[in-house]
Amino acid sequence: MMNFVPLALYGVALVAYVWHFAKRDAVVGRGATTALVFAAVAHTFVIGMQSMQYGYPPVAGPTSAISTFVWLLALAYLYTELTTDERAMGVFILPLLVALQMIPALNPGVEPQLPVLQSPLFGIHVSALLLAYASFALACVIGVTYVLLFKEIKAKHLGIFYARLPSLQMLDRMNQQAIVIGWIFLTAGMIVGAVWTPQARAYAPGIPQLQAMSLRDPKIFVALVCWTIYSFELFAARRIGWGGRRAAYLSAVGFAIVLLNFVPISYFLTRSHNF
Amino acid sequence: MHLLLVGISHKTATVELRERLDFQVRGVDHALRTLATRGSTREAVVLSTCNRAEVYVACDDVLATRTDLLNFLSEFNAVDRSVVAPHVYDAADLAAARHLYCVAAGLDSLVVGEPQVFGQVKDALTMAVAAQTAGPVLNRLFHASFVVGKRVRTETALGSGAVSISYAAVALARKIFGDLSGRSVVVVGAGEMGELTARHMKSQGVQHVTIVSRTMAHAARTAEQIGGAAAAPWEDLDGVLGASDIAITATGASAPILTKARVEAIMRPRRNRPLFIIDIAVPRDVEAAASEIEQVFLHNIDDLQATVRENLARRASEVARAEAIVAEEIDKFGVWLRSRGAIPTVVALRQHCEDLRRAELDRLDYKLAALPQARAVVDEITHLIIEKLLLTPTERLKSLGDAETVGAYAEALTRLFGLGESADERIESRSVPERIDGRVEPFTRSKPRGSR
Repeated sequence: MMNFVPLALYGVALVAYVWHFAKRDAVVGRGATTALVFAAVAHTFVIGMQSMQYGYPPVAGPTSAISTFVWLLALAYLYTELTTDERAMGVFILPLLVALQMIPALNPGVEPQLPVLQSPLFGIHVSALLLAYASFALACVIGVTYVLLFKEIKAKHLGIFYARLPSLQMLDRMNQQAIVIGWIFLTAGMIVGAVWTPQARAYAPGIPQLQAMSLRDPKIFVALVCWTIYSFELFAARRIGWGGRRAAYLSAVGFAIVLLNFVPISYFLTRSHNF
Repeated sequence: MHLLLVGISHKTATVELRERLDFQVRGVDHALRTLATRGSTREAVVLSTCNRAEVYVACDDVLATRTDLLNFLSEFNAVDRSVVAPHVYDAADLAAARHLYCVAAGLDSLVVGEPQVFGQVKDALTMAVAAQTAGPVLNRLFHASFVVGKRVRTETALGSGAVSISYAAVALARKIFGDLSGRSVVVVGAGEMGELTARHMKSQGVQHVTIVSRTMAHAARTAEQIGGAAAAPWEDLDGVLGASDIAITATGASAPILTKARVEAIMRPRRNRPLFIIDIAVPRDVEAAASEIEQVFLHNIDDLQATVRENLARRASEVARAEAIVAEEIDKFGVWLRSRGAIPTVVALRQHCEDLRRAELDRLDYKLAALPQARAVVDEITHLIIEKLLLTPTERLKSLGDAETVGAYAEALTRLFGLGESADERIESRSVPERIDGRVEPFTRSKPRGSR
């Protein structure tokens, strides 16, 4: 039930962002940001309550992880908005927030956490990866807007996005920054996970998921694919001048895979990584 | 009190006549003072721009003042009246206000929605205030026009989008690079158009401007004219282009100078750095296929003109919304202007009451002479009673909406209180029976309190 309140507020913010995008009304824009701030505060409260109720933060299990991911993405987006003073991207981020938040809102409660998962390393592992995914989501949206603006300027048709988005250069820079941050957290999260698995196996030998954890598990495998893609993007941007549109496409592809990993694979495919 | 506007603008007069009627030549300040000495106006503001010369005044007699202002226009600027008269337009009261609102909003400008005129309207009032020719009516009118200008700018898209080629180019560059400071621009060809665009870029904070021309001397001269620009020989074109972010090509060459292959070669070492090419030459200097190269943004003069046309069309479509704002604000001003119709009556009524109070106080003075404190109290009390009695009638009178009702009320008050008669007559006529009474002291009429 509790997750409905942030969902409703995200919904309000979505409507306000769409309205702001359509009418370019500064007052509506400020209202949209305010609604999103309220949503994030309410969401913080929900997550805090759950942590107190269960004694651990709600990060284990796909539903709780999605809720925390939405919360982190909202905060990351608010941070970018406040530092750049650009609101046009909200119209792309908010649908994602609303859609993902529906999952925890419809599946109430926090999945029970195995005692073996109460290690601090596990907490670091999950939080780092969720932060990485939030950064990648931001990079993807920035990349999509880059391509939209790029196409308008190239086609010499200066329309909707031309009037609303910041400059190409700025979008490119923001995309790169989001990817660098995401890549650092992804790498850290994966290393911590790899370090923690043998420890956990030794601690709790009877858990089948832990024993089955290997590179053949779809979730781990796809995460490695993501890491490869983003590493390549960072390398390409620095060494062979692959910025701009190519980087934008890559960040969209990378995040599509992240999302795939996050929702369908977590729920249906993985055999070992489904705590 | 009436508002009156007399003037000429780009809509009624040619540039030759506008030049001759330019108040800035002899000084707006001088014009305002000259106008004040003519005595036909109570307040005056002169709005003088390159596209218009308008005089806004507050006066009592519209017809006489109109004639006088026409004479003033011709005499002050030393242009024959018969030359000026056919081009002059005039408007009174709300029509004059509406005109000023349209001017401030940019609706009356040559390029609809241009922002400069707003500042010019503001300056006009500032100068009139400095010359002490702006009174309550024109102050109110001009401040209301600032409200209109601001509302139109924020609530409509009347002023949005570039409406000249060089502005359109700068706007595009901003969309690609964001901040232009620290960017470098190369102008290929030493033509006028390229120079103009380069100047615009420079004013937007572009750091390096380099001129490349087939004739080094031409390049050097143009660079000098722009100021702070460098010149480079024709042979260095590729190198300069490679180091630049924005290229403006404006040569008179009959065949494209920059083929796709040449641009590709320039782009290769730049990797991902965007190059914005503005081709304003006809025939074109850059092969159209060059825009296929990733990170090359090529816009030619037709593209820019199309943008300008689109922006102009969008501005035109916003005119109706801007006019709605003007109409709304005119209604507000109309209410205020009509409420001013009651002001003479209000003043007369208050004056009348104050005179009565003074007279009675003076009459009782001998009784209170020994009690200065009591006198002060009586003075205070009587003053408060009058204030309270008059508060509601004053407010009601001022809030009346239409001129007819104002007239009826004013008429009734004037008759009931005998306001038409001068204060002296009133006191004279009243003091006669009192003198028979034999108890009357001579009146010393002091300045009434609280009158305007």
